[in-house]
Amino acid sequence: MAYLTQPDYVRYICTCGQLKPITSLYFCRHCLKIRCGFCICHEVDSHYCPNCLENMPSSEARLKKNRCSSCFDCPSCYHTLSTRASLVQPRQQEGAGDGKVENKHQKKMYYLACFNCRWTSRDVGIPDQPVASGGWPERPNPFATQINQLLEYYKAIALQEKQEKIEKERKKFAIRGKYLTLTDKTGLTGAMARNIAGLPSSDSGSSSIIAKFVPSQASAEVEELPEDYFTKEVNLNQITSMPQRLLSPEWQPTDVSRLHPIAKLLSVKRSQRCRECDHNLTKPEYNPGSIKFKIELLAFYHIPEVKIISYEPMKAGENSTVLLKLSNPTAHEMTLCLMNPEDIPQVDNEEEQLENSLEKSLTLDKESAACKPAAAPAWRRAAAPCVRAVGPPVRVSVPQRDDAAEYDDDATHDANDVIVWRKANKLGVRLQVATEAAASRGGAALLALALQYSYRNTVPPAANAPNQRNHILYTTALLSLGNVA
Amino acid sequence: MALYEGIALIQEKQAVVLDLGSEYTKFGFTGEAAPRCIIRSQFWCSTERRFKKVYEYSTPEELYDNLVNMLHLLYFRHVLVNPKERKVVVVESLLTPTLFRETLAKVLFTHYEVSGAVWADSPRMCAMTLGAPVTLVVSLGAREAEVAAVVHSCVVLRAVQAQPLGAAAVRAELLHLLRQDCGPDLHLPDHVLEDITVKTCFVSPRARALRWQSDSPPEPARSVRYPLARLGAVCVSGRARELAAEPLFRRDNELASLPDIVLQCIMQCPIDVRRALAANVLLTGGAASLPGLRARLSQELAHLCTLPPYSSRLRLGEFKFHRAPAHDMSCAWLGGALCGAGEAGGGAGGGRLLSRDVYCRERRLRDWVNLLDNTPPHHPQRDHLDLTL
Repeated sequence: MAYLTQPDYVRYICTCGQLKPITSLYFCRHCLKIRCGFCICHEVDSHYCPNCLENMPSSEARLKKNRCSSCFDCPSCYHTLSTRASLVQPRQQEGAGDGKVENKHQKKMYYLACFNCRWTSRDVGIPDQPVASGGWPERPNPFATQINQLLEYYKAIALQEKQEKIEKERKKFAIRGKYLTLTDKTGLTGAMARNIAGLPSSDSGSSSIIAKFVPSQASAEVEELPEDYFTKEVNLNQITSMPQRLLSPEWQPTDVSRLHPIAKLLSVKRSQRCRECDHNLTKPEYNPGSIKFKIELLAFYHIPEVKIISYEPMKAGENSTVLLKLSNPTAHEMTLCLMNPEDIPQVDNEEEQLENSLEKSLTLDKESAACKPAAAPAWRRAAAPCVRAVGPPVRVSVPQRDDAAEYDDDATHDANDVIVWRKANKLGVRLQVATEAAASRGGAALLALALQYSYRNTVPPAANAPNQRNHILYTTALLSLGNVA
Repeated sequence: MALYEGIALIQEKQAVVLDLGSEYTKFGFTGEAAPRCIIRSQFWCSTERRFKKVYEYSTPEELYDNLVNMLHLLYFRHVLVNPKERKVVVVESLLTPTLFRETLAKVLFTHYEVSGAVWADSPRMCAMTLGAPVTLVVSLGAREAEVAAVVHSCVVLRAVQAQPLGAAAVRAELLHLLRQDCGPDLHLPDHVLEDITVKTCFVSPRARALRWQSDSPPEPARSVRYPLARLGAVCVSGRARELAAEPLFRRDNELASLPDIVLQCIMQCPIDVRRALAANVLLTGGAASLPGLRARLSQELAHLCTLPPYSSRLRLGEFKFHRAPAHDMSCAWLGGALCGAGEAGGGAGGGRLLSRDVYCRERRLRDWVNLLDNTPPHHPQRDHLDLTL
């Protein structure tokens, strides 16, 4: 819960430059880089209704305009509507002799009701339905015919434009034959010949639509304000609010009596993909009820986690001690080294740039390099760390994660002046830090801490790639250590 | 029709239409009659722990982040499609800041990797919903009133008029009037003012509005007790209900009221189309839904025509108003949907579509204010411009 409710005291710097807590980061096992929601590609995986948890294939969802056919929202308070049944005596039909026998037993009729605001579908005069789910009347758009006419008209124009273009192209290259054609000799054009033969003219399709189209007619009469507007009492409960209107963009009712139940909007499960290598970072399970993932490359399972245990107050120009907890979430032993961000070797980066430019020159079409998301605001602009680690880099080795470790009797105690304690895959570290003399009092004391860690890649390598399993990776975390005193 | 759509779906993904207004965002598919969602142009900003408006930005980076968040919300919460490899029709005002346009293009092409985008200006799109050849589009947005003449699908750029006379002006006046009634320390949040405007305000006819200015004001309409969430209630007097929209019609020496800018726009248009423009007025935009606004504008226009400086220069005849086949708020969006169905959706007319490859090569948008785009090909200045490319 601490991750959700508390401010982010420790933030990691993503490869794209964003500052994020470890819980909202991903780790691509194929490029061995940290990714965040900003620099990955989101994809719609599957549609489902959040109320009835029913899966809907995407083609069906498209046809139904992304709405569930059996769940509805209250148009008045946006709560989910419930289906209620009531017993009704069907009306006696006169003159139907054998109908009487059937009408004896009562029939169940269903209506929709909101348990929150007591709105019911009967309030607005929607007839009760004989079936419990679905079958609710659909309302056509009030402007549908006009819009269809406009659509046809513009499609016809687009088609005609296209044909004209093709015609022009053809005319440019068409060489008139040497020989006289029949039409040349007789002065009979193709259109005339068609006319005589009683055939419809050749380009009937689009041009007739264009010819038949009637544009909207303006009128000088504008609806005046009704006279009773100045004397009528306003009942606020009878007028819809803006959110209520916009919930159904097609009708936008202004009167409460025109509100109709709103079919529930579907939700989607998203899968996420690394932009660089196109591998999936997360892929949810298909079942809407399940919150598990098929693929889940979260940074939380792959990069060492830093937590702050305690710290002395930071004073400008003075040294102080910070107690940190480091943990290794992977299944392999990890060598960790804490250092200053300046000490991260830059070789890596240059190599990558070279690769990029090579790729760019090779595949102009893909433009993967040119079309990357623009460098997000450099983290240094957002946060200026004024605290740095001093002394030699702290180098420790953290054992692998072991679920059975809690049953061990005696934990190893190799405590010294750096390692405070050690427990399974976690250890406490004492770190000496110095605050800059120029740091202003009361400003945030931010410690930039670079982590060098060994990482065992468990992805089976591609056939032709060199089988390199152990990597030395770097990441930087920003720790907020209160304010400068 | 259904078959036609089916074929289009197989051929190509249906394009989306985005109208990113300063107050409400309209988003949906081309070829449909109404947007799929109309939501406030804001998103939950987790770092600041509040709803943040898209137009709240001080740096280009902040705007970039805002747009990324907003589009994520639209694509994955409301319309539920993959943005990748799908075309977009962006409906925008002619007066959108260059920074905003360029940043939106950057977000769409690089962050969401859309395959192509059509930039469509809202006056032209509004006129498209009518199919009439000559239209005068008066759009009352959240912040600004824009008047543009669309003649055969071309906007007469030199005649475009804009004044800060949108819904915000009405709201500010309403607050001012309510403070006169209920004491100067009345503070109402923006959404409450919007709700009061939507539920109670109206625009009275011209004759009645004149009486309000005279010594014998008319009998005011009924006052309304508007309940507030925590502070009890506020009494919205009939005077406040009626006069809230008056700033749109208030004339001063600047001649910057709504009817004034309509007539100025007509006056700056070519003389041949002026009568046609007056006979084809389309009033759209969210603020145009105020009851009685259309009638009042018509009366004011008829009256102003008889006054100098217009009386000597305009012979317009009767003003006629169109009704668009959409709600006032989503009129420009509908135009975009129609335009997209013809162009982006059908795959025809590739000339207007800016594809991703082209954008990646040039990294800028065509713009009517840009000399690179509006200098004729054989103009002597052209050579200088091409050098800078």
